[in-house]
Amino acid sequence: MKNLQSFVAASVLATAASVTAAQAEDTVKIGFVMSYSGWFQQIDAATIKGAELAVAEINENGGILGRQIEILPFDNKSEPPLGADGALEVIGNGATAVMLPSDFDFGAPGAFVAQQNGVIALSGASDPKFGVTGIGPYAYSISNAAQSQGALLAEWALNEQGWDTAYVLLDNTISYTNSLCDSFAKRWKEIAPEGSLLGEDRFRNDDASIASQVTRIKGLEAQPEAIMMCSYAPGGPSAIRQLRAAGVTSPVLTGESLDGDYWIGIVPDLSDFYVVNYGSVYGDDPSEAVNGFFTRYEAATGGRADVSYALRGYSMIEAYATAANRAGSLDADAVSAELNKFDEEPLVIGNTTFNEDLHIATTRPMLVMQAQDGKFSAVGRFAASVGNLD
Amino acid sequence: MNSVQIITDALSLGGIYALTALGIGLVFSVLRLANFAHAELVTVAGYALLIGVGLPLPLVLFMAAAASVLVAMATERLAFRPLRHVDQTTMLVSSFAVSILIQNIFVFFSGSRAKGVDILPALARQVSVLGADVSMVKLTTIAVCGATLVGLISFLRFTRLGLEMRAASQDFSMARNLGVRADRVILIAFALSGILAAVVGVLFVAEVGFVQPRLGLQLVIISFVGTVIGGLGNLTGAMVGGFLIGFIATLLQTFLPLELREFREAFLFGIVILILLVRPHGLFPARHLKERV
Repeated sequence: MKNLQSFVAASVLATAASVTAAQAEDTVKIGFVMSYSGWFQQIDAATIKGAELAVAEINENGGILGRQIEILPFDNKSEPPLGADGALEVIGNGATAVMLPSDFDFGAPGAFVAQQNGVIALSGASDPKFGVTGIGPYAYSISNAAQSQGALLAEWALNEQGWDTAYVLLDNTISYTNSLCDSFAKRWKEIAPEGSLLGEDRFRNDDASIASQVTRIKGLEAQPEAIMMCSYAPGGPSAIRQLRAAGVTSPVLTGESLDGDYWIGIVPDLSDFYVVNYGSVYGDDPSEAVNGFFTRYEAATGGRADVSYALRGYSMIEAYATAANRAGSLDADAVSAELNKFDEEPLVIGNTTFNEDLHIATTRPMLVMQAQDGKFSAVGRFAASVGNLD
Repeated sequence: MNSVQIITDALSLGGIYALTALGIGLVFSVLRLANFAHAELVTVAGYALLIGVGLPLPLVLFMAAAASVLVAMATERLAFRPLRHVDQTTMLVSSFAVSILIQNIFVFFSGSRAKGVDILPALARQVSVLGADVSMVKLTTIAVCGATLVGLISFLRFTRLGLEMRAASQDFSMARNLGVRADRVILIAFALSGILAAVVGVLFVAEVGFVQPRLGLQLVIISFVGTVIGGLGNLTGAMVGGFLIGFIATLLQTFLPLELREFREAFLFGIVILILLVRPHGLFPARHLKERV
């Protein structure tokens, strides 16, 4: 019995190896070392689907360097350390680029392996550490840095909306939200009159109640004209629910971690809520490229996207294919040199700029979305005027 | 800041913790089991609310209570009763297994993402109490917690079953010798803990507005600390401990300076350690649990 098993296993391996060898010549392999299962799956799912759409479209148009793209999927099961195993496996099978989860902690283990093996690592992590400083010269993030999202919101609230006072409510459970609120407060203090930041408070995503935080806001002499709330679902929407239930009606601003409408049931009839993301899934994006993308996405996947992250997956592959075609090679140094030359490169996610030191977007415009009476709509695209990553 | 609001915040949070601590304490007092699957009894009630969206409120509330009680009794019958005569740590491990199993059943059927549930939307408003705006959700939470506590105390004090439970919690083998039926008392303790979990589940979901597979987890961890500082095995202790934790958490969040506020949990557990250093068996030690030296 044991012999039979090992025979079957050996022949399966042999078949797999010969298939790989046969395809090695004709395809460009990109590893998708992503969370296909587990709790992070919900976050990676749209990115994966967007990237799959990009692969299909690029293949239809002739692929990379005339070769078809082949996806090598690996499920890290939402366990960050497995990302390193996954990267080793797909690189062993010939991947020249690896797409990793949209979070530094989840993406980094695989990205280090890619860096060591001379392979490009792509992610939607909004932490600038996913780049030269934290990983190495082969790591690129397609996202806007969390720091630039906070600065963007501070400038937008003050300059575009004319809100004169603000309050910062930070859920300090994850590093993204910390960077977001820190950069908001920093930029606000730079450009707004002293004393106009009325206060700051902290909570945790799994707090049973934010009653004390709400009471503190209600105790202010004047209610803030904007509340910058850095959090994610479910704690974030729940915090807004508790604010609104307590009669705090100030506009609430937040970053891409609250992108999407899947949580709107927590705060039905939500109004005066503003979030920055990569594009509108409702067909009202100011960019026709984005509207076109989501129409094709719906046709390909059979349903409306519920977050804008699919744009990231799409544009990661778009960026890699563009750079590899220009380089005329899949060699990581050559592709990386072309990526570093991106100067306002028109990708679907927006015009993207990289250089030798900066492998993440800082001043690329993002879309401000609003929710009024429980319905989301696009407000417009805005950019931070400074790209400070401190 | 307004003291009426602060007291309301503390009472409502403390009430939730107290009911949870009592649910854990009830089972512990008769079975010596720290039932970590209590978290899932809270979660089950939450999901029952999700399923019942659109149905008449009394029916939905009944569904939530029935779901928690049924799951509580089923876990007792299937996961704990067969292990009652082996090592106590085996039962503890079994409670972890039950907890993870139920969480994964929810992930399987409903996904890991939180789902919005807008139960009791009428409570999302303010009323004026002694010159302060106080949220109706909080007042309702306090009232319901109070009523549940009174109900539970009356049950334990004035009914035959209650008497048997108190006897069993004092000295289980003596109670059995005197005619208390172990299976029944333990099953009733689980059923009661299910009712308490359902009350907590409904109040909690009304406030936070969502359900997710790990809904009850953090509540139960914090409340378990409440049962420990109150005195494991002592029901009065569990109640007081739960309230105390809610009060300390609210006061820390209210009065710690901003720079220290993110270390609120460290302060909370620091205070817990101090209490246990001074009173290792909790504030209300269960007499029969003390080690005899």
